[in-house]
Amino acid sequence: MLVPGKIQHIICTGNLCIKEVQDYLKTLCPDLHITRGEYDEETRYPETKTLTIGQFKLGLCHGHQVIPWGDLDSLAMLQRQLDVDILVTGHTHQFTAYKHEGGVVINPGSATGAYSSITYDVNPSFVLMDIDGLRVVVYVYELIDGEVKVDKIDFKKTTTTTHSAH
Amino acid sequence: MSKEIVKEEAPSSSGVAPAESPAFASLRGLQWRINLGILPPSSSIDDLRRVTADSRRRYAGLRRQLLVDPHVPKDGTSNSPNLVMDNPLSQNPDSTWSQFFRNAELEKMVNQDLSRLYPEHESYFQTPGCQGMLRRILLLWCLRHPECGYRQGMHELLAPLLYVLHVDVERLSEVRKLYEDQFIDKFDGFPFEENGGPCNFDFKKFSDSGEDEIGSQGNSKKVCSLDELDPEIQAIVLLSDAYGAEGELGIVLSEKFMEHDAYCMFDALMIGARGSVAMADFFASSPAAESQSGLPPVIEASAALYYLLSIVGSSLHTHLVELGVEPQYFALRWLRVLFGREFSLQNLLFIWDEIFSEDNSPLDKVSEDSDHFSFKLLNSCRGALIAAMAVSMILYLRSSLLATETATSCLQRLLKFPESINLKKLLEKAKSLQILALESNKTPLSSAFGGAYNCTKSQMSSPNVPSVLVSPNTALSPLPDTYWEEKWRVLHKAEELRQNSSGKDTPSPSGKKRWAERVKFGLSRTESCPSPAREEKCKRDSHSVRRTLLEDLSKQLGLEEDAEKGGCFEASNLEDHHSVEVQGEGQNCAIKESLCTTENRCENRSGAVVCEENSSFFPDPPSPPGCGINDHENDTEKSSVASNLSVDDNDDLQRRSPEDSPHRVSLPPEDVSPSPLPENESSGKTSSTKERRNLSGKFQWFWKFGRSNVEETSDKRGGTNEAAKPPIHDGNRSTADSSATTASSNPHPISKGDTMDQNKMGTLKNLGQAMLDHIQVLESVFQQDQGQVGLLDNLSKNILVGKGQVTAVTALKELRKISNLLSEM
Repeated sequence: MLVPGKIQHIICTGNLCIKEVQDYLKTLCPDLHITRGEYDEETRYPETKTLTIGQFKLGLCHGHQVIPWGDLDSLAMLQRQLDVDILVTGHTHQFTAYKHEGGVVINPGSATGAYSSITYDVNPSFVLMDIDGLRVVVYVYELIDGEVKVDKIDFKKTTTTTHSAH
Repeated sequence: MSKEIVKEEAPSSSGVAPAESPAFASLRGLQWRINLGILPPSSSIDDLRRVTADSRRRYAGLRRQLLVDPHVPKDGTSNSPNLVMDNPLSQNPDSTWSQFFRNAELEKMVNQDLSRLYPEHESYFQTPGCQGMLRRILLLWCLRHPECGYRQGMHELLAPLLYVLHVDVERLSEVRKLYEDQFIDKFDGFPFEENGGPCNFDFKKFSDSGEDEIGSQGNSKKVCSLDELDPEIQAIVLLSDAYGAEGELGIVLSEKFMEHDAYCMFDALMIGARGSVAMADFFASSPAAESQSGLPPVIEASAALYYLLSIVGSSLHTHLVELGVEPQYFALRWLRVLFGREFSLQNLLFIWDEIFSEDNSPLDKVSEDSDHFSFKLLNSCRGALIAAMAVSMILYLRSSLLATETATSCLQRLLKFPESINLKKLLEKAKSLQILALESNKTPLSSAFGGAYNCTKSQMSSPNVPSVLVSPNTALSPLPDTYWEEKWRVLHKAEELRQNSSGKDTPSPSGKKRWAERVKFGLSRTESCPSPAREEKCKRDSHSVRRTLLEDLSKQLGLEEDAEKGGCFEASNLEDHHSVEVQGEGQNCAIKESLCTTENRCENRSGAVVCEENSSFFPDPPSPPGCGINDHENDTEKSSVASNLSVDDNDDLQRRSPEDSPHRVSLPPEDVSPSPLPENESSGKTSSTKERRNLSGKFQWFWKFGRSNVEETSDKRGGTNEAAKPPIHDGNRSTADSSATTASSNPHPISKGDTMDQNKMGTLKNLGQAMLDHIQVLESVFQQDQGQVGLLDNLSKNILVGKGQVTAVTALKELRKISNLLSEM
């Protein structure tokens, strides 16, 4: 399913661990954004990252820095800190997506289904975001019991953010 | 009530060009739509409107269906489509997303072309609105016709169509401004009762308030006012009536529906609308299903162009064919965009006016079993006009094309059609050729061409040859008669002397040799009399000719002698031949080909003519450098002919050099030294020695021939050679030798005294004979190979076979050169 050419950006929360995984992701798409997870051997990934795609500002962080892990309010704090519309974090290896305060907090889960620090019961999943103007459609692909299940979440941004220069 | 507008004629219904301009002459878009078959010809305004509306509806439906946006839920009620299938990453080809991605791919291709469309008119074509329309039209057409796909050039066909629609709309707005009152729908203050009825109504009173109603609705007074207008303006008004048939959708000249109309026009143009000429064919790369020739349509159409050209301007046609300019190199572009890249937009519109006004219906059914080959392009009036237009363009450039020497310059001129042209003349010529084209497509004459073209469609070389032979174009300067006549007389006397004293060789081989000699010498003679302008070319010709002749001669002589004698002789003879020739070569600093040393000799001679510094080499005493060069040449000989004998021969030759002197003494006091003589000595076999001497004499003659060429700059005459010959031929020479000289001298007067045409014919005959000789040589080589196998032991057999192969190879090379020469002529 993941064929080169269809995806324009890859956002990865971290814990790729080895360079080979990064190379594989590069073959899917040259525009790759990664933040540092606690097990990454590559030390040059940043802790957090922000980028703008279309009308949306995205924030990226692994999530192990945000304590308690996976807590929405804490993540919302990070979102405000980074001043992004969409915050993508990981670490919990569980897919979650919240609409919160005019923004979206997405946890794509673990792409490999690896055991997390917290739990063994992990389904491989990833998220595809279709950003089109002021609208983003989030497709969630999960591998449950050997089958790919797809789900969709729509999110519309209410206003275009105007970045005020300080 | 509907209004009938009687058109002055219906241009599309007959193939004859209308004498007067059609009613909608100024409304190109409309006219073209009629011509292309979208709108019915000669019908009422209402009909026009209805058909327009229908076509627009079709397009709108197509657009909705094909331009899919997966983001937007289609019916509004669409419950979540099966997301497993319909997600963006789905590789299911049916999913809307894959459709979306396919469209995106196509769009990328289209955008590439569109961004470069008509940069000189970018004020219109590069506007986002226009670009958007073009893009959508092209996308939809390609989606609708997936078998064609999108090809570069389609956008250039579409752009003028959109442009004319745009022009029409502009015209409409002009008319609107001028005749505002016709269009305005004001009813304020329109009285009904007060003034006793419409008959007495005084329009002038209401002219200020601009009360007039739009055309067809309204009373007779309105009609009168409309009638007063120009019929054209009337048409515009009526066609644009928002209340006419089909309402707004039926407004024939409408900006809103430009895209729809342009799509219909484009579709009609590409598909051909049941006609014979379908532009989409020209974009197809594979042959059409029912094509008779099995060629892709555009190649076939290009062939049709050349066919027509061959009828009208055969000299230009042969010239182009000679240069190897295949028609599709330039015709591809011409045909695919209907000359869109060759003319400015305005001129193009005129041309397309003419083309579209021609009927497109097929004139006769192209059936599989028709006994003659007819071009699909010429099968309709429109196609014939297209072909005629192309041919008239080629003829327009006739003088500059005939002046070109290479295919690239020719193509450059064809592909850069001049900007300022007399379009009227071009079109008139095209019209006149069109009739011819239509006629020619029906005659059985076309079958011959078609068949010929089919056979040679991959190589145009074979048709080249017959046409080349037909038109000899070289002019050889006549030789001064007296000098050569004198020579001939001298030689003739010598030959008679020789013949009387001869008796050595069997008649047939000597006869053969003589004839071969004569042939070759004659040919070399004619080749060596070029006009100054053609010296270069003739030099090359003479290269190949002499090469062939001398090589052939050597082979013939060598092989004939070999046939007479035994195996080793043959080998050594050949070796000697080579080394002899090489010796002569050694004098000049020319390219030394190991196998074809006679060629070297030829090159030296001609090279000597052109580069006079070489002449300085000749006067050098040949023997010392000769010996040295002999070594070198023998080395090359050794390498070229891999056989043990060569080594022996070389040694023998070197040993034989002291024997040169007696021969040299016998020669007339020229500063030409008979160094070839030593090589001609055999390796100790007396009979072969004699043979060698014969050969040496012959080759000495050859060498002298070359030498004398050096002395005389522009004429490559073997003058001194001639003079040298009689003294050379002493009684020791066999008839072979004398025959050589005789043969060489005989053609002299023939070639000299004759007119140029006879020279040519003689040359051609000689060439033919030379070719035959080569073939005989090859045959004899094979015969010898077979013959010698049984006779000799393994070692010599191998050597022999090697030599035989060598000679065969060289003979083949000579044959090839002769054919090149022939084609050059």
